[in-house]
Amino acid sequence: MGNLKLQASSMLKLNKALLYSRGLHIGHLDGFERLIAGIYGTPDRVPIITQPYTYAMGLHGLSGKQFFSRPELFINASYNMAIYFGIDFWVPVFDFYNIELDALGQRLIWRDRSEPDVDSSHPLINSEEDLRRLKPPVAGKSGRMPYVLESYKRYIDLMGVPPMGYACSPFTMAVLVRGYVNFLRDMRRNPSFAHRLMEFLSMEVVTPWIDKIAEVTKSSIVVMADAWASQPNMTVEMVREFCLPYIEKIIRATNSPLRTVLDTGSWGERSVKNARDVLDIKMDMMVPGNNLKALRPFFLLVWNEDYEELGIPLFRSYAEEKKVCLMLNIRPNLIEEGPPQRITDTVRKVIKEGAGKGRFNLLINLVPIGTPVEHVHAAVAAAKQFGVYPIDEDLVHATFRSPDLIPFDEWVKKEGLPVG
Amino acid sequence: MDMISDLKRAVCEGDEIKAVDISEKALQEGVEARELMDKGAVAGIQEAGRLWQEEEYFLPDIILATEAYKEAMTVIEPRLAREDLSFKGKVIIGSVEGDAHDIGKNIVISLLRCNSYEVVDLGVDVSLQDFVDKARELEPDVLGMGAYMTTTMRGMEVVIHSLEEAGLRGKVKVIIGGAAVTKDYANDIGADGYGDNAAETVGLVDGLMGVS
Repeated sequence: MGNLKLQASSMLKLNKALLYSRGLHIGHLDGFERLIAGIYGTPDRVPIITQPYTYAMGLHGLSGKQFFSRPELFINASYNMAIYFGIDFWVPVFDFYNIELDALGQRLIWRDRSEPDVDSSHPLINSEEDLRRLKPPVAGKSGRMPYVLESYKRYIDLMGVPPMGYACSPFTMAVLVRGYVNFLRDMRRNPSFAHRLMEFLSMEVVTPWIDKIAEVTKSSIVVMADAWASQPNMTVEMVREFCLPYIEKIIRATNSPLRTVLDTGSWGERSVKNARDVLDIKMDMMVPGNNLKALRPFFLLVWNEDYEELGIPLFRSYAEEKKVCLMLNIRPNLIEEGPPQRITDTVRKVIKEGAGKGRFNLLINLVPIGTPVEHVHAAVAAAKQFGVYPIDEDLVHATFRSPDLIPFDEWVKKEGLPVG
Repeated sequence: MDMISDLKRAVCEGDEIKAVDISEKALQEGVEARELMDKGAVAGIQEAGRLWQEEEYFLPDIILATEAYKEAMTVIEPRLAREDLSFKGKVIIGSVEGDAHDIGKNIVISLLRCNSYEVVDLGVDVSLQDFVDKARELEPDVLGMGAYMTTTMRGMEVVIHSLEEAGLRGKVKVIIGGAAVTKDYANDIGADGYGDNAAETVGLVDGLMGVS
């Protein structure tokens, strides 16, 4: 799809979704439009987002090497998973913590049935000298960056909209190239080195990579994933001193009126005395940069471990106070274990307490390999039945109708894309 | 006594460079290894553990303290007499296959060691068969497994099943922990114990061993 056509089509969809979210309904929403409407206001029903990831890999019997290095297999398998389950919007999620590291020369461990992992016994930067010697990647060309860009192009061709782009946050990257304990020591004993490392990763690795992703995809959202900026692994003070200033720097360097860059994926509200300390950090990870503040797709992503312990109402009221979209996932192991009744009851509860009058998204992610497809179908069907706005006030008593199922292999033969 | 107090402080504050330096100097100057261990290194990590449980210390503080303890013990341990190395029991522990996370595991190891357990660290990404093989070879009292990702935790039930098949299940207590697992899961797979956090593990193992 040509860039101009892609941009024009995306803008039309964005505008339609924005109008819908504010009560002006022009036709039905497709999945992408539902997502956007759900971020800014009230869609027709709760948007369901998924990261197909290794579950899609497992459904197709692919190895980690095949899935995470061959764009056609990765995109086609992810597409099949998302479309088979009737998901509204899927994100082509590769092992996004590794791409820049791989490009820098960090050794990875490859496994058959999971994503590659950083070899933490051989951190890339063992000394200050190592940092001085390290050359930044050539954005788009080093390591598996071409795999990512090619995958994004295929996604655009399939879906007709830009993907949500993914990069690794410099803070998480710093932990991965130094090793967790080493980076803790850096922050405590040698903060100037820790800052130099953060500066290098932010401005010479992440920023050019985000620019390249945006240039190729025209994505309106690029996410930096930041699992290590979480509690209790880091303290609030560490994140404020060593993470947030660089996030802001990257956002200011890469944002544009049509592109929002933000940092997300961290967790740990349950691990601190005052959950707001972590929630406030999450808001600061989405500083406006040079974008129009009113149009920023702010969302507050809260993981099941935290909301299960602290309760959804706390997060719902914080999101409403900050006027941001709340995004909650469903516990992956619940989907794996089932039974479907337990899954649908959980989805019902999450929607009842989280969906409010809009500004809500439901995320299905990290579904373990081998999870019965009936369980995923149950989660999706429950979200579609219970998530219709306005949310039924008597949702507790609403009956659930099991969806009709076609076995995955049969569906792929009829309607899926070829894989392998 | 000053050097012993200094070591305690260095361990508690997570300064592994000082901890090693003080340990070496103290031993050179004739401080008894056993006293240096008990009143210096062990007292330091126990104090750090206390501060952590009282929420004065954060996780990074206890991590650095356990690292400092570990480094100090690499200096002190070779100088201990055989009778100083009496253990309450033997524990083998590792992160299950596919899982490279080791923060919690490392804290558990240090806390067990400073509470007189012999601990064999199997490392991270330990193949499921290795857990069984090491249980047979090392004859531990307790086998610990950590899983920090929902995608890897299922390996734990495979290990328990394999221990049963190998006729070893009755000889070893199995404990599990890590961000991905829950008490319910531990019960479901037939584990003997579950630690919600690293600090609980010593009490858990003491209970399973029937010691205080």
